[in-house]
Order: sequence, then structure tokens, then C-alpha cells
Amino acid sequence: MADHNDPNAVNSIFSDVDVSAADLYDLFGYPSDDKTGREKVVIALTFAAVPEAGILDSDLLYRIQIHASPRIAWKGGDGHTLEGLLEYVDAVKDKYLGNLKTSEIRVHVDEQQRAVVRFFDFPGAGSFSTVLETNKVHEIPTPDGHSLKVYIGGRDDAFFNDLTGFFRSINYAPQFYHVPHTMTDLHELPIPKTLLELEGNYLFNYDPAEPLLGCGVKKNLPPGPYTWSGNKFKTDENGNFRFVYSGKDAQAGKNINAIILEVPIEFLTKSPAKNRIVNTWGESWVLKAANKVEGIPDHPVLLEHPWALFESSKLDDELKKYKLVDTDGQPFADAALSERENNRQLGANNFWLAPHFIKRLAHLGWGFGPSISALGLKTSFNHDNSPVSVHKTYSLALEAFPRVAKTLFQPLNMPDNSWNPKGLHIPLRRPFEIFIPNVCAIDMDTSGTWPFGRRLEDQVATRFLSMFLDMTADFNGKKYHIDLLNDQSLWDAAPIEPKTPPNPLNNDREFLKEFPYIAEPW
Amino acid sequence: MVTASVHVTDYHAELERVENDIAELAPIAFAFPLKSETVTKYLYRLYQRVSLNGRLDELRSVESAIDRAIDQLGPAEDLCLLKANLNFKLHRLAETQRALQMAPALSNRAEGRSLLADIDFQTGRYSEAKKALESLIEEDRTWDNLARLAHMQLKMGGFEAADRLYLEAEEELTAKQMRSYAWVELQRGLSNAMCGQNEQALEHFLRADRAYSGFWLIREHIGDLRGAQGDEQAALAIYDDVLRRVRKPELLQKMGELYQKRGEPAKADCFFDEALAIYLKSAEFGEVHYYHHLVEFYATARLNPGECLKWAAMDLALRDNFATQSALAWAFYVTGHPPEAVDKITQALDSGVQDAGIFTKAALIYQAAGLHDRSHACEHKAAALNGVGGFHVHI
Repeated sequence: MADHNDPNAVNSIFSDVDVSAADLYDLFGYPSDDKTGREKVVIALTFAAVPEAGILDSDLLYRIQIHASPRIAWKGGDGHTLEGLLEYVDAVKDKYLGNLKTSEIRVHVDEQQRAVVRFFDFPGAGSFSTVLETNKVHEIPTPDGHSLKVYIGGRDDAFFNDLTGFFRSINYAPQFYHVPHTMTDLHELPIPKTLLELEGNYLFNYDPAEPLLGCGVKKNLPPGPYTWSGNKFKTDENGNFRFVYSGKDAQAGKNINAIILEVPIEFLTKSPAKNRIVNTWGESWVLKAANKVEGIPDHPVLLEHPWALFESSKLDDELKKYKLVDTDGQPFADAALSERENNRQLGANNFWLAPHFIKRLAHLGWGFGPSISALGLKTSFNHDNSPVSVHKTYSLALEAFPRVAKTLFQPLNMPDNSWNPKGLHIPLRRPFEIFIPNVCAIDMDTSGTWPFGRRLEDQVATRFLSMFLDMTADFNGKKYHIDLLNDQSLWDAAPIEPKTPPNPLNNDREFLKEFPYIAEPW
Repeated sequence: MVTASVHVTDYHAELERVENDIAELAPIAFAFPLKSETVTKYLYRLYQRVSLNGRLDELRSVESAIDRAIDQLGPAEDLCLLKANLNFKLHRLAETQRALQMAPALSNRAEGRSLLADIDFQTGRYSEAKKALESLIEEDRTWDNLARLAHMQLKMGGFEAADRLYLEAEEELTAKQMRSYAWVELQRGLSNAMCGQNEQALEHFLRADRAYSGFWLIREHIGDLRGAQGDEQAALAIYDDVLRRVRKPELLQKMGELYQKRGEPAKADCFFDEALAIYLKSAEFGEVHYYHHLVEFYATARLNPGECLKWAAMDLALRDNFATQSALAWAFYVTGHPPEAVDKITQALDSGVQDAGIFTKAALIYQAAGLHDRSHACEHKAAALNGVGGFHVHI
């Protein structure tokens, strides 16, 4: 009763947990540019470089799940109805929660930093395992005669974006202010989301006197109010808007740890001609405390043989010893659409989020839509010609849907035909297909550029914003497309400062021509 | 390359990290202009250091530093939460509530609600406490609230339910929370010890030690158990080792009790003197967290009925619950006030508490008051609960 033994005596009152190795950053996936020999796919899962680049956390386990299937076109025609969308979600749900047989690559490191890599349920090879040295490129043979390239270790962060700009656009307070950890309601402040600074939004507008605010520098959170009562975008003496983005790469000079693979598609499916879509997603799991005490020694066979057959029936027994922490399929699926809440880490099984997805997209639309219109561009979001961004939330998907129907259903135009090198009849992808389920769906007949996969050089942060552009509109005689906002000429002509695409166009380090493709760590 | 290395325990490694952070933050924490993130982290580290090293007297300076930060930054929620936790650790329940009220929204946050549930339990509002915790757990099954509810179940005799909850709490903990895991293992061991299952208790304590090595708190519990099992030599050796690291007065008292039991009054007196000095010094500072130890001290170590009654009454005035009620009942008993003793012990038992130690006291109190039937019933209850008996363990 009074033994000084309350949980908080040992508990961390504050969740001041450092960046965790469980924090997944990106999942890249695309058909390999190496056309020699068999057709191959590149898959790279990147995560926080903790404890450091090249050293992996032995308490963590990473899974990459893969399932190859035929390309299926949307059969809903042009009818953009909520019922149609929910039917689609139900069909996908049945597929993923039904008898879907996925293959899996599971990785963890032991105390000696040897990577134990296990392959489960591959169509020809079955299940097998190998132990690899980290930070080295390996070519490993499979039981069915294929050769896989594997790299596990530290690299340069392949993501390049203006993270501060993105957080400024959604008024994300913890990037700029010290927000007490209890105040979870003060993360995204109830200020309209926007691409253009709002007149009088003193909390988030760029302040030349404090250029590093939000770029590693944080201020004390002012007492509030945390709302915005203005009615127009901010303009300078020349009538130019102020862009919330700077185009600067917030990830420059940063490292990650990664699991990078290059595998023949024949290793993934027995019908590579038919199953042209390689669906993949990643997960991070952390060992439960109870199991850390017991220890999980790796099976001696695994450590003594370059590769060994393994029983997949033991799969779930092992997972019971871990807790799922993070999932990654589509860029921005969690950060922009799921608000990064832990209980929304569902990976491919994010079907129940469909109503939330609609409401959240409408919420974002009320912010970004008017910003796009103010720049003289056409938006896919129906904001009733609002002259300025609006902070609006929805409790019902039914209410939000009419606003966001076009955004959800419009096919996303590609900038040119390079994405479809074979000139096949491949339908353009639509936002709802991209985000539900939350997987990276690599179309092996394309270049694999987003949203047909995700290539290293894709500027996905800017492409994500393009969902709010009206893809039926024209710019300079050409239909809007997913890279329109990367077009410098658009910004040169726009009444805005700074005149820059929102995010950098290239990574800070050049990608490699050869495996493992992501540049060496800094 | 394999290099020889000195084994650093988990406890020492963590304490070193905390010390390093403190050393780094100390020069800048209160530098102008004050940065709330820096000062909060610094204060939290100071608090964490005390939680690890067990030197509660250091909380005085931590509290001053928190007050200084609040004075300069205003009642930020995390500072007020820290202040509330510090007060709760020192059994200052009214101050805990006041600290929560300083940041008005805090009492509605999960962290604030957990603390309020703790206060409810400490002030005898058992069903309110249980309801609040069940509601919190329904919203989010955090390990600490599961452990809190388990503790309540345990005290009210729900041993199996408590163990299930403790197990569930453990399931929520990961390899990055080994100290917390070890703490839950300690609680599971204590619940075994309460039922006289000493071997199982030891298993849990040893498991806690493997999970988070080098923590004096775990060693102290193992020492308690050794003493309860009659291995006084082992208990003394363990206590002696723990005392080299942390001069806890309640542990000094336990050492004294062991020496007293072994018929070595001179040695016992040395430990009793030191324990008492620390208790009283703390009380002089206006602190209340050793009141219940003073009650026990004057009831067992150095019988002093007047002092026993005084501290018991003061403790009960702060926290009216079955523990303080039974302590005051015992004080009335040793001072020769049977009717008052009966009144208080009955009040304690009416709470529904299922504690062998309290039933043992109740049996003696009822016996002295001539209430033989009640006395026998309590004696049987104590035997059924199979408490640890002869050796006094502070559980």
C-alpha cells in the first residue's frame, strides 16, 4: 500500500524515447533496371539508423511480405459513389483477409551483428534461411536455382523532401514547439491546412528572424489560442503569396539502415507472365520483454550453414514473441492519412480505415484545395470556391465523400510515357487504389515509378500533393500530371515566393547504378 | 575482434546514461531564455535519477527546481505532471491533486487520471479507483494501468485476477522496457509471497534480476524473501550489499530487526538509530512519506506506544485507507486502548482487504477486547492466506 512501488516509480513518466529502430521510413519497389538474365524486382525497406548506420538493433525483427497477382482494372466505370468505393474495399478485404498466401522475408541481427535472413513460403523454393554479414552485398542461391542479391546495413537516406514544409502545411506543432507529451490534442493544431501561408498564422508562418525554427530548432509553445481567425492568405508588398514549402531537403546528410533485395520475379511467382503486380509491404516488430529474458538463440543450423531449409510452421510461434510496431507500404499512407497513430499501424490490412481515409482526405482537401485555386490552378477537391483554406473535420464519411469524390477517383496522369516502356494498355492508378490496401504494388510492366511502385528517384512528397490537382485540367497545353508541381516554369509564373517546387527534385547523394542502388552512408 | 570487458549491469548502465544527461543539461537547463524542452528533460532526468538511486532526500532539490521552472515558464502540463508524480511518491496526496489542478486539462489526460485513481485508492475510495482504472484500460491497455489494477485486485484478495493482469501487463512490455518488466516481475513475486508461495516468489525475483541486472530494489526483495524463509545470514548479506549502495532507512530498520531477532541488540541499535534519524529528519522537513515506517518502528523495533499512536494518527489524517487504519488500530492496541483498536481494525477489514498481516493484527486486537469469535475468524483467515508470518516483510 505504501511501499514506494507505484508503477511510475520505475516508469518513464514522459515518453522521451529516442528515435527507434522500429521506425520504418520508406518502402521502395520497382522492376530492376538490370535487364540481364531474368526479370528482377528491387525491394528496399529503410528504417531509422539506430543505434547507428550499419549497426542494427538486435531486439528488432523486420518483415517484408510479398504477393504477386495479376493486374486488375477498376470495374466501377465512371460512377463515383461511396457504395462503389466500399464495395471495392470489401473485395480487397476479402482478398487480404481470406486465403491470400504471401511469401515473406524476415530479418533480424544477432548479438554479433550477423543478419539472420529467412525466406518463407516462396512458390518454388519453399522456406529457407541464411546468415549474412551486414553492410556487404551478397548473392545467395535459392533452393530452386535462383540467385538473390541482398544487402542489409547502413546507407544514405534515400528520401528527399522538405519535411519542415510539410509539417508547416499541416500546422504540426511538435516540429516547431515543445508540446508537452500529454497534450496529444495539440499536434495538428486546429488551423486550416494550407500550401500558402495564412495572414496572421503567427504560429507557423516563416519568420526570417528565426529561419531554423522547425528545422531542428523548437520554441516554447505559446499559451494559445491555437486557432486561426483570419480570412485570407498572406501576401507580400508585391501581392505574392508565401509558400509554406522551401524546396530544401530536410533529409540531406542523414543515414538510414536498410534491407535491400533484388530478386527474380520467377522466385516470387510460378506464373510471372500472369502475375505482373508484385505487392509488397514492410513491418517492424520489437521483442517482448519476457522473451528477452528467456533469449531466443538462433537455431545452430542457421548459423552453421550458408542456407538451410526452415519450417514455415514455426512462423507464428516466433511472432508471438514480438510486438508489431510499424508498417510501411505507401509513402504518406500513415503520415498524411492516418495521422501516425499507433493503433492505425495496420499495413496491408488497413481496410477498416476506409471511412477515415475519406474523412481525412476531405479534411486535407479543405486546406490544400483553396491554396491550389489561389495559385490559379484547378483542384480536384470541391471547396465551393472558398477564397482561403478552411479548417474542417468530418464525423461522417457520407458527408465528406461528395467533396472528395473526384480526388479519390480521378486517374492520376503521368508526365510522359516513360512509365510504360512497353506501351501496354495499363490503366492509370487512382488514389483510392493506391492507398487501400497500404501496399507498394509494383507493376512489372512499368518502370515502377510511383504510383506503379516506387523508384528511388521519385519525388513522392510532391506527387502526393498532386492528388489535389484536377487531372482533367491543362497547363501549357498539357494535362495536369503527378509531376506538375515539380515544374519550375509553373512556379516562375505563379504569384508566390519562394519560386520553387515544394520539395527538392533530387536526392542529396546520387543513387548508384548497381546494387544496392542506395548511396553509401555519410 | 573479441575484447575483454567489465560487466556493467543494466542498472548501472541506465544510471550512467541519466547522469551523463544531467551533466550535459545542468549548465544550460536554466540558462536564459529558458527552453521548456531542455528544462523539462533536465528535471525529468533528476527525478529519474532519484527513482533509480532511491535517495528520496534528493527529491527536495528536484522539487525546488520544478517549482523554479513552473515559476518561470508557467504551469506547463508536463511540469505539473512531474510535480504531481513527485508529490505522490512522497505520499502528499493533497499536493498531488493541487499539482494536477495547476494545469486544468491534466486531470482529464490519461496520465492525470491514473494518478487520481491512485489517490482514490490511497484515500479509501476503492470502488472509484477501480472504476477509473477499468475505464482507462478500456481506452488503452497500458502496462502501468494494468499493473495498478492488478495491485488493487491483489489487495482485495483477487489473486488469480491480479496475476492475469500482471501477465497482461508484461505482454505489453518490450525489450526496450526491461526495468518496467522487472518491476512487474517483482510485483508478481510479492503476490506469491503474500500467499506464502515463497519458491514461486523467488523465481519471479530472480527473473526480474535477469531482466534488469544490478538493481538494488530487486536485491532487497530477494533479501526480504530469504529472511522470510529463515535464512537470516543470506538476508543480512544481501541487505548489507544493498545498503552500501543506498542508505534506505526502512532497510536499516530491517537490518536492525534481523539483528534483534538474532539476539545482537548492540548491532540492532546501531541500525535502528540510523533509521530513526533519517525518518525524523525527513519529518522535520515536513515530509510525510516515512510516517508509516515510524508507526512500525515504534510498534516493533523500539516499542513506544505514544510515538506509535502519534505517527499513526498523523498518517491516517493524510491517507485514510485500510493500511493506515490497521496501523492506527495496532497503535491503539499497543497503547492499551482496545475499544478504539477494535473500531479501527473493523473499519480496515470492512474495506474487503485480504492481507494476512492485517488479519493477524486483527486477531490479536479482537482477542484483547474479548471478541474471541472474531479473533478466531481472523486467525483462520490469516492462516488461509498463509502470510509470510514470523519475519516482518514490508509488502
